[in-house]
Amino acid sequence: MPSSVPAVAAERLTKRFGSFTAVDSFDFLVPRGHIVALLGPNGAGKTTVVRMLATLTEPTSGSARVCGHDVVREADAVRQAISLTGQFAALEPNLTARENLVLMARLRGYTKAGALRTADTLVDRYDIGEFRDKLVKSISGGQRRRVDLAASLVVQPELVVLDEPTTGLDPRSRQVVWSTVHELVGQGVTVLLTTQYLEEADELADQIVFIDHGRGVARGTPAQLRAQIGDHRVDVVATDPAGFESLVHTLAPVFPVTLVPEKRTLSVPAPRETLDLAAVTQVVTASGVPVAEIALRRPTLDDAFLALTGTQTNVQDNALEVLA
Amino acid sequence: MTTATMGTAGTGLALPVALPVRANRTVRYMRETAVLVGRSLRAVPRVPERLSDVTIQPVMFTFLFLYVFGSAIHIPGMRYQDYLLPGLIGQSLAFGVIGAGVATATDFATGVTDRFRSLPVTRLSVITAQVLGQMIEQVLGMAIVIGIGLALGWRPDLTGAKSLELVGLIALGLCAFTWFGVLMGMLVRSSDAMQGLGFAVMLPLSFLAGTFVPISGMKEVPRVIGEWDPLSTLVAAVRQVCQGTSSTGSWPLEHPVVAMVGWCILVTAVCVPLALRRYRRVSAA
Repeated sequence: MPSSVPAVAAERLTKRFGSFTAVDSFDFLVPRGHIVALLGPNGAGKTTVVRMLATLTEPTSGSARVCGHDVVREADAVRQAISLTGQFAALEPNLTARENLVLMARLRGYTKAGALRTADTLVDRYDIGEFRDKLVKSISGGQRRRVDLAASLVVQPELVVLDEPTTGLDPRSRQVVWSTVHELVGQGVTVLLTTQYLEEADELADQIVFIDHGRGVARGTPAQLRAQIGDHRVDVVATDPAGFESLVHTLAPVFPVTLVPEKRTLSVPAPRETLDLAAVTQVVTASGVPVAEIALRRPTLDDAFLALTGTQTNVQDNALEVLA
Repeated sequence: MTTATMGTAGTGLALPVALPVRANRTVRYMRETAVLVGRSLRAVPRVPERLSDVTIQPVMFTFLFLYVFGSAIHIPGMRYQDYLLPGLIGQSLAFGVIGAGVATATDFATGVTDRFRSLPVTRLSVITAQVLGQMIEQVLGMAIVIGIGLALGWRPDLTGAKSLELVGLIALGLCAFTWFGVLMGMLVRSSDAMQGLGFAVMLPLSFLAGTFVPISGMKEVPRVIGEWDPLSTLVAAVRQVCQGTSSTGSWPLEHPVVAMVGWCILVTAVCVPLALRRYRRVSAA
């Protein structure tokens, strides 16, 4: 397969369920050897995109090619090229972790002996040893996720699709997922992952596509998106309206503040994070005005979403001021 | 990261074992089906409750009716064991719908079906394996019922040819009811709902089907339902083959073997294509 063929190329991909449009003319490109994150809130259409690319459901209109194969007409070739880890740990609960891996390896075409060796390699690699002979129904969610991930890697696919791989995971399992993703890319595998966490997309992906209501609303590298979204900020919350007025007089001449009067909150951009927090705290303390809270905040997915969809938000105002 | 991991990573291949060349479609279909049936059967001893539909329940019915209600039931011209056991065989067959439906719905709800569908395996093999696995479970349950029946004094009047006829009928019934269950499981998609719905429909139908007491003695409404209840046909057919009894009331009851063969062929002919179509197209939530 020439490396010029993209791992995913979707054009005007659309999926309707009755009158509801889950995915709406979505254009999507995943170049080979990259990690692309499909980032969006719950119900944005991420899973539906993934399901169409993994040949689990057919597009209503538009087209998609995965590793050069059409997802409708060449579905078998697509299945051969990809491996999907769905949102739920899709394992047989009444088999052990190891038996599940053997089953997946057998279904991918390994002989019995080959499947056993493959399973044992995966057990070692994904830190499954301590629970490999336990029934999947009796291990923790995080452990199950690790087995699930290993199960989708019994062969080395050209494209690994991970649908919300860390939702609901404990930190250790999340770390295993993250390092696995880094490792896969090191081996030249292309990864497409969906996530609700800005932080995760930022950590893992070299390209992020922001999706909402089934439409791509923004795309770029994490750095490009961060520049649009804005950096950390310090929020100062006053105890009462009078205090809010006093704080405005105190802080506005010193910092580029944004005001949210209904929440009695003043926002100060904090590109230097804790240093800015200290600076703001010092000015507030010196003024002697009582405050309810001073906190350093990172932009949330909501902030990012509002910023990127063009809705006016404090975060975006801050970002514009910082950029100016 | 361990050095071992680094070593394999460096080669650019995840795993040390190479995949064999892909066999042709038929060979793959057989192999995949065998692997998947193995998956279902391996799970059986680990979930004894999954077998309860086909084991504990019939056993309980056997004891309940033979030793509790049976004392008040008198079937003219035959011992109650000989009346009851063919009925229980019919009931076991019918309850196979529930087992097959629950297993299928569970696979859909847990995402296992999606995972299989995302693999390069023939889709027919997944569904064939589901049906075969269920049929094997049913046979196991049926063997237990028959064994207990024989131990408790059931004496079927079976010649060689009649035995073959019985085996044929049971096989046909298993096939029809399992496919029906698989289709229902795909439509319902929740194992709890399937369990509830299954019992709500099958239990009353099996009570009206002449399983435990003759239909002819029932009040008019249940009697008419019973006479046309497909499960009645099933029970009457098994009873006719095992004990040589005949029943009256409706055409299917007077020709139970022919009617049962007809029912099973009809159910299979309708359910197989629908189930396959559904399996190809269904998109789980």
